[in-house]
Amino acid sequence: MAMTVYDPGFEADERVVALPERPRTLVGATVGIISNGKANTRPFFDHLERLLREEWGVAEVVRRTKSNYSAPAEAALIDEAATWAALFAGVGD
Amino acid sequence: MVLSSRAFDVVDDDDAQRLYRDRGWTDGLPVIPPTAARIEAMLAWSGHTPDTVIGVEPVKQRPLTAEKVAVNAVLAGCLPPDFPVVVAAVEALCRPEVLVHGATASTGGCAILIVVNGEVRRQLGMSSAHSVLSSPDRASICIGRAVRLVLRNLLEVRPGELDRSTLGHPGKISWVVAEDEEGLDGWAPLATERGIPAGVSAVTVFAASGPRQIMNEWTTDPEEVATTIVAEIRATMLHYSIWAGNYAVVVPPQLRSVFHAAGWSKARLRSFVYDHAIVRRADWEAVGKAAVVSDRNRDTEYRALPSPDHLLVIGAGGEAGGFAAVIPPWLGPKSAATTVPIGVCVDC
Repeated sequence: MAMTVYDPGFEADERVVALPERPRTLVGATVGIISNGKANTRPFFDHLERLLREEWGVAEVVRRTKSNYSAPAEAALIDEAATWAALFAGVGD
Repeated sequence: MVLSSRAFDVVDDDDAQRLYRDRGWTDGLPVIPPTAARIEAMLAWSGHTPDTVIGVEPVKQRPLTAEKVAVNAVLAGCLPPDFPVVVAAVEALCRPEVLVHGATASTGGCAILIVVNGEVRRQLGMSSAHSVLSSPDRASICIGRAVRLVLRNLLEVRPGELDRSTLGHPGKISWVVAEDEEGLDGWAPLATERGIPAGVSAVTVFAASGPRQIMNEWTTDPEEVATTIVAEIRATMLHYSIWAGNYAVVVPPQLRSVFHAAGWSKARLRSFVYDHAIVRRADWEAVGKAAVVSDRNRDTEYRALPSPDHLLVIGAGGEAGGFAAVIPPWLGPKSAATTVPIGVCVDC
């Protein structure tokens, strides 16, 4: 029997977020790394920080840790991140 | 009633099954095609207009409307009288303290346990007896499945997508427990203990790890039974997570009778567990976790419960058997058990 059925998924328009322009270079830039706080992120981000400084000429690497690794970063941290040229927000386990 | 969801014309039931299967809109089981009549019957039962926002998932900031929840409830096989329970569960999941995004995305293996209290259990024919931890009746399994499909279809909680759980949890299919209020012998129902007025049905949602059964049918001393429960909680603190949060204990009739005979209330059981479910960091050395024990922290004590009230004591289970179950939290205090009345607002 023919019938009409309905979509169970989310359909409303997602909020439009304007992406910032990507930096052309990281030389002399301040770059942030936000850890989720898990122990194994530390050696991974240590290595990443070394690469950023030694191979990409980054002037300053800011290391921050979220207060809750299962939740989004707190507002103050997101505000601070807006002052950085680039940001790494990786998941480590 | 005007529905705003995208509509699809299908030629027959097989075509409908193919549509939902091909688009990833089922959990793999067949679905009930959500026609306008079926969706509207759900909404009519709960009294919601299609655009009523049941809750806003806090991380995605995504509003979940009554219409979309109803579409998923139909798909799951719910009957219209089940729908208010589904609505209350979705409302509870959207509360910030549940952190449903974290609980459903976590590598840890948790599922959403839904405990139902009140007259609605009898109206829907929900069973509180045998195999109670396996959604043992039509309404229980359909309500739990509806919540699963809401998570899947409205919040992308699909294995390998938002759901990053390493092992998962059998309760993700459906995990609904109706408390055995008629057999509590003076114990207060869970929802009543958590502030819901008598006579009001309610759901309590809890992001929980797998149930761990204990057995002690060789005593009539309630303290000994409680000690076995504590031992299981201490074990999970050592083997899984040391952090304090909500725990649930499901107590079937046989062991409940031990507590009742001795005059132990739920509150006394909670206090006993709070006082005794404690481990030291050094205890981790015996279970292969010496790497995170140091001279600085080895004597630090950890309680399972931040307070006695963090223990959810649920009376349910078949009449025979000296069993109980400890249900640990997903991960310490990250998600809080949350109780919401069904079909009414008690604080507005």
